[in-house]
Amino acid sequence: MAIAEFLLFVLTTTLGGMFLCGANDLITIFVAPECFSLCSYLLSGYTKKDVRSNEATTKYLLMGGASSSILVHEIELQEIVNGLINTQMYNSPGISIALIFITVGIGFKLFPGPSHQWTPDLYEGMLHSWFSSFRDYECNRSIRRQKDHPKMIISWLLRTNQIRWFFFSIFLTCSYGTKVEKIEKNQSFTTTDEGFLEKLRIIIAFLSVTSKVAASASATRIFYIPFYFSSNEWHILLEILAILSMILGNLIAITQTSMKRMLAYSSIGQIGYVIIGIIVGDSNGGYASMITYMLFYISMNLGTFACIVLFGGLPPLAGFFGKLHLFWCGWQVGLYFLVSIGLLTSVVSIYYYLKIIKLLMTGRNQEITPHVRNYKRSPLRSTNSIELSILFFQN
Amino acid sequence: MMLEHILVLSAYLFSIGIYGLITSRNMVRALMCLELILNAVNINFLKGNIFSIFVIAIAAAEASIGSAIVSSIYRNRKSTRINQSTLLNK
Repeated sequence: MAIAEFLLFVLTTTLGGMFLCGANDLITIFVAPECFSLCSYLLSGYTKKDVRSNEATTKYLLMGGASSSILVHEIELQEIVNGLINTQMYNSPGISIALIFITVGIGFKLFPGPSHQWTPDLYEGMLHSWFSSFRDYECNRSIRRQKDHPKMIISWLLRTNQIRWFFFSIFLTCSYGTKVEKIEKNQSFTTTDEGFLEKLRIIIAFLSVTSKVAASASATRIFYIPFYFSSNEWHILLEILAILSMILGNLIAITQTSMKRMLAYSSIGQIGYVIIGIIVGDSNGGYASMITYMLFYISMNLGTFACIVLFGGLPPLAGFFGKLHLFWCGWQVGLYFLVSIGLLTSVVSIYYYLKIIKLLMTGRNQEITPHVRNYKRSPLRSTNSIELSILFFQN
Repeated sequence: MMLEHILVLSAYLFSIGIYGLITSRNMVRALMCLELILNAVNINFLKGNIFSIFVIAIAAAEASIGSAIVSSIYRNRKSTRINQSTLLNK
């Protein structure tokens, strides 16, 4: 377990994600998430001695492989439908079938409501190995003398590169923000040789899953420009997904006792909010609200998984502006039901964030306190400055 | 008529693959079903696209990574049954 492979996996994952950002045709939209996912499987199974990590990787691989194959099926259905469109057959059932396949295939990767089963297992399995190794490293000074030990690498990466990863993820968000501006100005994109009428566009944001930011498996945020003639069906599908993920994520997160699982379920809930931003889409700067919310989401989750400290307090405050903008855009478009559900589930999410703070104050949870002592200061400082700058920028 | 036959065959293999993937207790069998799904999709590319070559390459890469995971599981547990993985409880 040398460091060279590890860096290779992380960089290749990033490369896959960035290709996904710049995708203009369907082939790239298939190949880039595959590149990203394959390296994520490798990252999640990196600690091969740990059985729980192996199990998490197995589940992730099977689910990810199934979802990729469903996506490929959708793409080939898309091509067949395109052949049908060339012969002037609009609104055929094949288009809606292709749409359903897209949503299912992307839905697995995005883990909204119905397909969220593998996410908490993945988080818990991966994080368990990283956490235990880190805790052993911190508490056992004899390990520190070893060179090229994975625990030493992990802590070194955490200490030196955390802030850099933070800026890197923000840079990525801005890089696809420019692409979103292109969408808003209705510039045309290049098409494939077959001349697609619909243009798919996938946008990715990186999320740090583990506390060791550099070792994170990244989750993708995918949205796409709607099919011009079937946007109603697409809206309905995404509304269902958003409602399911918000309700399920936040309600199940209340009942969790494990910290990692709770964070996993809260991230599922966050994606519900993001999906509202996707639905809003074209008008009233919906894309902009989604990007700002994702920026907050990145900062929240990086900080949360990095130190599991007082970030339970910060999300309701700093992420509040992101959520406000998102809900405001949704309200303007007319998604009253969705926005009201979003508000309710936000209140629910504040409950379990505050539960984290309460646990920290009373100091019962033995897994957190070494991290609190070590990392109470620097991540708070870094994330505070960045969030303040974001708030100023928004105003 | 030829179009329908190819589509029906592909859908049939796809459904067999999905069913096998869901209900397999062995990890190696699950990987084989994953390959079956990808090959079923690969039949469907009618116009001689280059996309099918991409799918073949990616299926090969994913099979190799799956085999690596299976081998690491086997070294830890001496078996490849999925239903033994009950550590990550809800």
